[in-house]
Amino acid sequence: MKKLLAMLLALVMTLALAACGGTTGTDTQGETPSGTNDAAQTEDKLAVALVVAGTFGDRSFYDSSKAGVDRLAADFEKIDVKTIECNNENHDQQLRNAADSAKIVVAVGWEFYNIETIAPEYPDVDFIWIDNATSAPVSNVLNITYAQNEGSFLVGYVAAKMSESGVVGAVGGEDSATINDFIVGFTQGAKHANADIKVETIYSNTYDDPAIGKECAITLNDKGADVIFQIASKCGDGVFEAGAERGFYAIGVDSDQKYIADDVIICSMMKEVGTSIYDAVKAYVGGDKSLWGTTWVADMSNGYVGVGYGDEGATQQVSDEIKAEVESLKASIVDGSIVVETTR
Amino acid sequence: MDEILRHIFSAGTFNQMLRSATPVALAAMGGLLTEHAGIMNIGMDGMILMGAFIGVLGSYLCASAAMGVASAVLLGVAVGLFFALFVVKFKSDEFIIGCALNTFAAGLTAYLSRSIFGLSGTSGHDIAHLPTVHLDFLDAIPFFGEILNDNSFFIYLTWGLVALMWVFVYKTPCGFWIRAAGEKPETLRTAGISPERMKWIASILCGICCGLAGAHLSLGYLNGSFVEGMSNSRGYIAFACVIFGAANPAKAYIAALMFGFFDALGYRLQSYISSDLTSIIPYLITVVMMVYVVVRGQRKKTTLRTNTTAQKE
Repeated sequence: MKKLLAMLLALVMTLALAACGGTTGTDTQGETPSGTNDAAQTEDKLAVALVVAGTFGDRSFYDSSKAGVDRLAADFEKIDVKTIECNNENHDQQLRNAADSAKIVVAVGWEFYNIETIAPEYPDVDFIWIDNATSAPVSNVLNITYAQNEGSFLVGYVAAKMSESGVVGAVGGEDSATINDFIVGFTQGAKHANADIKVETIYSNTYDDPAIGKECAITLNDKGADVIFQIASKCGDGVFEAGAERGFYAIGVDSDQKYIADDVIICSMMKEVGTSIYDAVKAYVGGDKSLWGTTWVADMSNGYVGVGYGDEGATQQVSDEIKAEVESLKASIVDGSIVVETTR
Repeated sequence: MDEILRHIFSAGTFNQMLRSATPVALAAMGGLLTEHAGIMNIGMDGMILMGAFIGVLGSYLCASAAMGVASAVLLGVAVGLFFALFVVKFKSDEFIIGCALNTFAAGLTAYLSRSIFGLSGTSGHDIAHLPTVHLDFLDAIPFFGEILNDNSFFIYLTWGLVALMWVFVYKTPCGFWIRAAGEKPETLRTAGISPERMKWIASILCGICCGLAGAHLSLGYLNGSFVEGMSNSRGYIAFACVIFGAANPAKAYIAALMFGFFDALGYRLQSYISSDLTSIIPYLITVVMMVYVVVRGQRKKTTLRTNTTAQKE
């Protein structure tokens, strides 16, 4: 009898959990985790599903994508937005769940590499894959990759100009091609500003543990780095904390993170994930589907990658002089006179 | 080579060892009690995660880090009761309940942090955090002073707790009964003391220790921020420390320090070897530790057997 009761209670607990995690419907859309969805069938509504590999709340990459679809929902009445967070697991299944109930599926994160085989199973659904590209073009997949190396080049230049110790650092989330693309750009930019600069890098090997991010930043600071670039999602919060405690500067990533710690973050490497999703879906709504089946590189020339110095009124550590130099470098990258290395 | 060694064995390394060992050690202090009481507690990770969240929440609502710690302790009591209810009262499988607790904690904290703090988590909210302690006399000591000074208040508290736990487990009747509840429950019952009651006590104290570990993680280690999944397997490492230290508080603390040390070492070795390899180090150490524990256990058994045969002869 007691065992039965225990089992029942355990079941209740699991169900409670199921209710907690999983799909979060935004806006007017109800919470339908999978299966057929009425919204997909009604002619006038366009269901857009945003699937992120991690979770929201990073105030960077994923939150930027969320801001993009939220803007879509606000600007286009016929667009219904639904979001799914994979929490770093079941990427394929969540992608299918999204495709079951939406017309456009936006997959955010390099982890969705099985999109190559999943997308052809859903010929009526159009996919957008953020941050990576299929090995061969798939007719209903639009790949959007970002020239993060170009943006990182600029912040690397700023870092080297701001450094007094002659050492700058970067905290990467893991030793992977995408993260290293930031790092090579950062290193090249730093060397461009000061050929003698030392660039120290460290990988946190996790994206969700700010305590580890903090330790990584302190380790780099112990090595003399006084400007540290964070490329590690939520670990970055720890990098900013360490900067405030130890008195070094930090550089934000993906979104303009200046507002998080005004006096620590001198600038941010901006990757306009949200804007690019917005523009792609806007083109789709306007009837232009020519982008699908291709890889769109969002780079500095089309304005999707750049440097942010925070909103107006934010404390500015970077002098106008350096900012002007950054602008001229930007022009040189766009016209091709500076070629930034890449790992892709 | 000399420079590499100086870099690897700097004061910073040992300072980091202390910092990353503390949350693990705090949880291990609780884990060793349940281990003594004969409960395999793998739910510590979830307990830490909930402690971390409730600590931040308490601190946020009351604008005081002390209240944050107090609410984490209260939560620890509640979680301990909850755990004991299933494991002791309903005699469910502790492994399953531990797993359930971990997943439950992950879901609950994610849900609550979003509904209370909004989509972006707790970061962005100004949350009171625990102070760091500066001791003037330590400034005079070169290397060790640097390591021991200016740490979070909880690091010093942990030392006290380790000593206290040692006294409790080995020198008080209650500690003795808890150990008996795990090793020889029938004997304890014969002596008129309920082993179940001891298990309840061990679970609650474990909940409190894990709550403290969580509060330290979010309020002491970090300056008042919660991130989903921030316990990052520290509960499992704490469990490994308990097993490795044979549930002895001092040994478990040393095991935690060892983990902290290899963690710190890993980050410094990244300059020389691939980060994929350095991230294996803590887990490699776990495996080595476990092998050691098994071998040690086997040897003890063999000695015991030889002794009994010798006595018979």
